[in-house]
Amino acid sequence: MKQTAPHLETSGHKQTVSREEILSRVQDPAFALVNVMPKEAFESGHIPHSVNLPVAEIETKARQIFPHVAREITVYCAGPT
Amino acid sequence: MGYANVRHYVGGMADWVESGGSVERVESAADSGGPVRNIQAHPPRRLSWANWLDILVNWPLEKLVGFWLAIIIFFGFIYWAAGIGMGWGLLANNTLVKPDLEGLGTAIYFSFVTALSIGYGDVIPLGPLRILAVTEGIAGLLIFGCVISKLVSRRQEELTEEIHRTTFEDRLDRVRTNLHLVFSDLEALDEFNTDHSALTGHVLQRFESSVRVFIGELKTIHDLLYRTRLLPEEDAMESLLANLALCLTFLTELLNSQPQRSQGLTAGLRTIGSLANEICGECVPQTYAPALKQWMDQIQDLAKKIA
Repeated sequence: MKQTAPHLETSGHKQTVSREEILSRVQDPAFALVNVMPKEAFESGHIPHSVNLPVAEIETKARQIFPHVAREITVYCAGPT
Repeated sequence: MGYANVRHYVGGMADWVESGGSVERVESAADSGGPVRNIQAHPPRRLSWANWLDILVNWPLEKLVGFWLAIIIFFGFIYWAAGIGMGWGLLANNTLVKPDLEGLGTAIYFSFVTALSIGYGDVIPLGPLRILAVTEGIAGLLIFGCVISKLVSRRQEELTEEIHRTTFEDRLDRVRTNLHLVFSDLEALDEFNTDHSALTGHVLQRFESSVRVFIGELKTIHDLLYRTRLLPEEDAMESLLANLALCLTFLTELLNSQPQRSQGLTAGLRTIGSLANEICGECVPQTYAPALKQWMDQIQDLAKKIA
């Protein structure tokens, strides 16, 4: 499943997050973990404390879930892309 | 969509599962009529004694102390019940402790002495109770250790908080001073440049340098509004925002007489525009007093002019 979140990307440079950082910050309310897989895939397994925002719905729903553009967001999908 | 702080966990689910991360599933259960969260470890993580200790350490202090007391009293009752059930249990003054109320007191007293590893030796456990007493000693010490570590870390957290606050105040002071400098600089330039001609030479350099300092402080204020857990007092915040707005006003005026802009300046102005554009009464996460909101809205309006 090759999916990225093109609309969420910052212009040009894309920064990555390590597994360790996710583990250490998953409880941090300022750290938002976003699963961009479709709803069914999300329900069958996701990293705890992540929210589901399928790629197809980013355009319409991102603003509702994260109203502030400065929010620290980490996206992930099925596997290495 | 303008999100500025997006990062990517490249490995995705595959990497997460492969390296043993836990996975959460949502299953629609028909009988309960709602989604049930089923948290599964993958692979199932063994709960070793070290894990149990971790769980204990994460308990709040009150719960930990309560648990410790509960264990002591529970063991006390066992020592006492052994006296009823088997006719023997604890030995005090070379006589068996009787299964009456006084015996219960002695059993609980023995339990405390054991758990605290005092071990006066005036009451002695007999037979298998000795194993129980040693177990209690170990458990009591471990839990007591957790209580002590909790107390120590509590003090440490207070200190960290204190350091955090001091740094924060320093930062506020720096912003205030720098904004004042930028403000004076821009004002002086504005007065100097009465005929609205293009700035040249070292005056232009001075102007660009001020703009750079200004960008730094604008970033700090933006951070302050969006990310920080601590908030300055409203008065302080208002003066910062007012100074920011004043600087922006002078900046727009000066820019009007600068048709030719260097590349660095153009990039800087773009940064100022986009940062200041996100400062308005309704778009920042917290709600502020109307006066502050007004300043923020003014900053956003000025940003639009600059952009």
